[in-house]
Amino acid sequence: MSALSQVNIIQVNGLSKTVNTLEGELPILSDISFNVKSGDSVAVVGTSGSGKSTLLSLLAGLDQSTQGEIILDGDALHTLDEEARAALRAQKVGFVFQSFMLVQSLTALENVMLPAELAGSANAKQQALDLLEKVGLSHRIEHYPSQLSGGEQQRVAIARAFIGTPKILFADEPSANLDSKNGKLIESLLFELNEQHGTTLILVTHDEALAAKCQYVLQIEAGKLVKDTSEVLADVG
Amino acid sequence: MWAKLALKLFFREFRRGELTVICAAIALAVLTVLTLSMVTDRIGQSIAQKSSAFIAADRVLASSHALPQSYLEKAHSQNLKTAQLTYFDTMLFANDEMQLSSVKAVSPEYPLKGELKIKARLDAQVEIVNQGPSAGNVWFSESVFYALNVKVGDTVELGAAQFTIEKVLVEEPDAPFNIFSSSRRVLLNSADIEKTQVVQPGSRVFYRQLYAGEESDINAFYAWLKPQIKENQQWYGVKDRQSPIANSLNRAESFLLLAGLLGIILAAVAIAVSAKRYCERQYDPVAMMKTLGGSRDMIRKIYLLHLSMVCALSVLIGLLIGFGLQDIAANYLAKSMNNTLPAAGIKPWITAISTGVICAVMFSIKPLLDLFDIPPLRVLRRNLGDRLLVSKVHLAMSAMTVFLLMWLFSNNLKITAILFVSTLVLIGLLFLVSRVIFGGGRKLGLRPGNSWSLAIASIQKRANANSVQLISFALAIKLLLFLVVLKNDMIADWQSQLPNDAPNAFLVNITESELPVITDYLAQKKIQVSEFYPTIRGRVNAVNGELVAREVSLQDNEKKDEEARSGIGRELNLTWLTQSPAQNEIIDGEWFSESATGEASIEESMLARLDVKLGDTLTFLIGAQSFDAKITSVRKVNWATLKPNFFIILSPDVLADFPATYISSVRIETDQKRDFSELLRTYPTVNAIDVDSFVKQIQSTISQVSLAIGFVLAIVVLCGALVLISQVQASLGERMQEIVILRTLGAKGRLIKNATLYEFLLLGSAAGFVAALVSDVALFIVQREMFDLAGKLHPHIWIIGPLVGGTFVAVLGYFMIARTMRKNTQGLLRSLG
Repeated sequence: MSALSQVNIIQVNGLSKTVNTLEGELPILSDISFNVKSGDSVAVVGTSGSGKSTLLSLLAGLDQSTQGEIILDGDALHTLDEEARAALRAQKVGFVFQSFMLVQSLTALENVMLPAELAGSANAKQQALDLLEKVGLSHRIEHYPSQLSGGEQQRVAIARAFIGTPKILFADEPSANLDSKNGKLIESLLFELNEQHGTTLILVTHDEALAAKCQYVLQIEAGKLVKDTSEVLADVG
Repeated sequence: MWAKLALKLFFREFRRGELTVICAAIALAVLTVLTLSMVTDRIGQSIAQKSSAFIAADRVLASSHALPQSYLEKAHSQNLKTAQLTYFDTMLFANDEMQLSSVKAVSPEYPLKGELKIKARLDAQVEIVNQGPSAGNVWFSESVFYALNVKVGDTVELGAAQFTIEKVLVEEPDAPFNIFSSSRRVLLNSADIEKTQVVQPGSRVFYRQLYAGEESDINAFYAWLKPQIKENQQWYGVKDRQSPIANSLNRAESFLLLAGLLGIILAAVAIAVSAKRYCERQYDPVAMMKTLGGSRDMIRKIYLLHLSMVCALSVLIGLLIGFGLQDIAANYLAKSMNNTLPAAGIKPWITAISTGVICAVMFSIKPLLDLFDIPPLRVLRRNLGDRLLVSKVHLAMSAMTVFLLMWLFSNNLKITAILFVSTLVLIGLLFLVSRVIFGGGRKLGLRPGNSWSLAIASIQKRANANSVQLISFALAIKLLLFLVVLKNDMIADWQSQLPNDAPNAFLVNITESELPVITDYLAQKKIQVSEFYPTIRGRVNAVNGELVAREVSLQDNEKKDEEARSGIGRELNLTWLTQSPAQNEIIDGEWFSESATGEASIEESMLARLDVKLGDTLTFLIGAQSFDAKITSVRKVNWATLKPNFFIILSPDVLADFPATYISSVRIETDQKRDFSELLRTYPTVNAIDVDSFVKQIQSTISQVSLAIGFVLAIVVLCGALVLISQVQASLGERMQEIVILRTLGAKGRLIKNATLYEFLLLGSAAGFVAALVSDVALFIVQREMFDLAGKLHPHIWIIGPLVGGTFVAVLGYFMIARTMRKNTQGLLRSLG
């Protein structure tokens, strides 16, 4: 599992998130601590509203914590401003979302190339074509998202997530919007590419079967980490 | 790198039609302003050129003293054409007959604008010439031939000289419209003035210098002249004169101005709506780009480049279409007016481009700033950023921008303020109304599966979005109703002043003894005659016992009517009446009671000129006799009507002992002219002033101006309709998700289409009703304050407003939704992205 030679790519320590409501402060996450080794796959599970997506958004630097530390591949995420976090994401992070989140005015190929272009890379086309081939869409590269099925759109999103060879991939319910056949296809693609690229996978899901495919499981309930299957977690305490 | 991505996104968005609405809105703003400005400019120039004929020049300098030759020399040096006129009254002698006549001595350049109409003999055809009589010759108006019993070729004595009667003077372009001046007109060459020896020190002579040329040259000359103008000199153009022409021209100009202003407001609304819609549709891509590592700076650059490109492209499109449209319009108008329109200047282009750019920047900046602020977290929380706060500062800045644009365009603070404030009031009212409508509907029972229930539920659910839509719909409807009603009122008012059976001649100088005989004669010959007014000439000598002559003669106001000014320094025509004339409105005090004694009613401008107030006592001098009258009422006089009007009317007792003459207006049809000439020959002391050609000139100008106004209105209505279309289109975007859900759940297309139809019907009707109410209030104010029309309410638009608003918006919404509904459910789902 987490070999000793592996380094901690994600370190989370005493992470809390509260939001202000009319009734006062509402805790969303309380005192979460864990580490993830490079190349591991971790499923984050929990009931609706437990705080899974909030944890994902904090880990990916899409939102800021109220308290605690997040070290992402050596960078202290909690100390960075929005611009620096965006730059960090461009270099090290890939995403797959439940609702695909493709840019409607760009073709499949252009959507895959988008992260590379945002990062200033000029030579992304071949890599994008390769990735699209890997996800079985080399015949659909000039199609727009509205011309693709849900399964195909998610495959484009997966190809996009792996361009630029990110160190960490965040996936939020990647198969929830798809039928079981397409869901299975997407899941296997995700794990296959993850393995090929040696990417660390953080996967938020309701699906116990999907969670079971990951090396570790973090269970969140009412904003608290109630269960982990990793010895690493125990180390952090 | 960002530029490549930005360009790719721009062209893709453009091809997908995402930018079409915002582009169309900006182009609409530009083409509206360009078309209106150019058409207005060209028509304005043409009308000004045409109307300059009414004073035979572009500008006139008038005085009761000889005017310096140095003025003319300076004018020549500034590329202006000039002419000189000298007016005096004198006796004419011929065939043992004598007659008092008004002589106008003209220099060879006269007229600078317009033309003279003459006849070789009394029974000959009318000819058009561009020069007055040569030295040694005179031209007489028809009535002088009758009065002196002479014919063309006869000799006449004028002062110390003899002249040959060369032509019959039919029409001068600048014939004075003053029924108290003589209709017996004589045209003389100014070189002959000296030999008549009529003009001596102390003679009552009036002088005019006429100027014509480019407006910029005239303005430069006036800048030089202005400091030298003395109290007894007056500078004016055709629009400064109190005449029906000046009045209609000023009103027409105000209307065209208003139309342009409303076009700007409509365009601003369209841009605001479409920019907001476009930016909202970019929330997801921006959130995604931020998530994937796009920096805020890069996103800012991408979308600012989009804005610049949209702006440049749409301004170009707007200019091209606007130019083409105005060219078509100008050609059509020129053909209808039987005239050519002069080319427009550079100003409309500058106004149009700056309006497009300012509108585009100001109305997209807030949605763009919101877009830049979209958090990347939106990729996980889909509704994040949907409820961004409305910035009061931005609202205030947008309002200020509209205000400044309107002010810059109109150069008229008053009208800008009226329109702007009424629009703000409308928006405020609409917020209140929308709360009532959207809140009140909750009490209604909702039954699923019923289109009306669905429509009401939909309206309630989107209370905020619907409030905005209601305001936009109402704004467009208000502006259109406002213009249509104003145009109708204005043209109706012109037509009521000059109906087809308007008087075309005045009878002046009828004695008390002649009155019954003339009345009988007119009745017998079936000549229409209005009431007879008694008149007597008198002078205001003192106010509250203090002499005023000197004080009054020093008054200087460039805008005041020339005839009125000279009238006050000398004798005025006084009358006495028991009832206030119909074309007069009492604005202060009360009209004479039956038992009134020693009272006077004064016209408002005279009140100001004499610096008097209600209750002051005026001392009048008639011949050697003087009497007092107390001011008990102040009147507003409609000078545009072709009826005798008076600065001062006295209570009947005051002038009971003075001999008066009577005046009246008559309508003489072509077949009655011989009978009318017979009347004049029988009573040679009675003067007849033929204003037939004058009335025709006014009617022709008014019909041309009406045509121009109708055209401009059509353009604004088109713009308003396009604004409504863009609003409906924008609002449909917001409804798409709901439509998809309903469709997916199996709702029939008919149910959805009907629900949309009813929803838009309710929204459009509510907007139309409120728009009608607010338009009516704004109309009331604008008519009184700007157009000098009687303010009145128009209850019919309270019904038309909701009917038109509801129908138009509903039909538009229905057709747009029907087009969407043609897609299958899968297609609809995918189009949501």
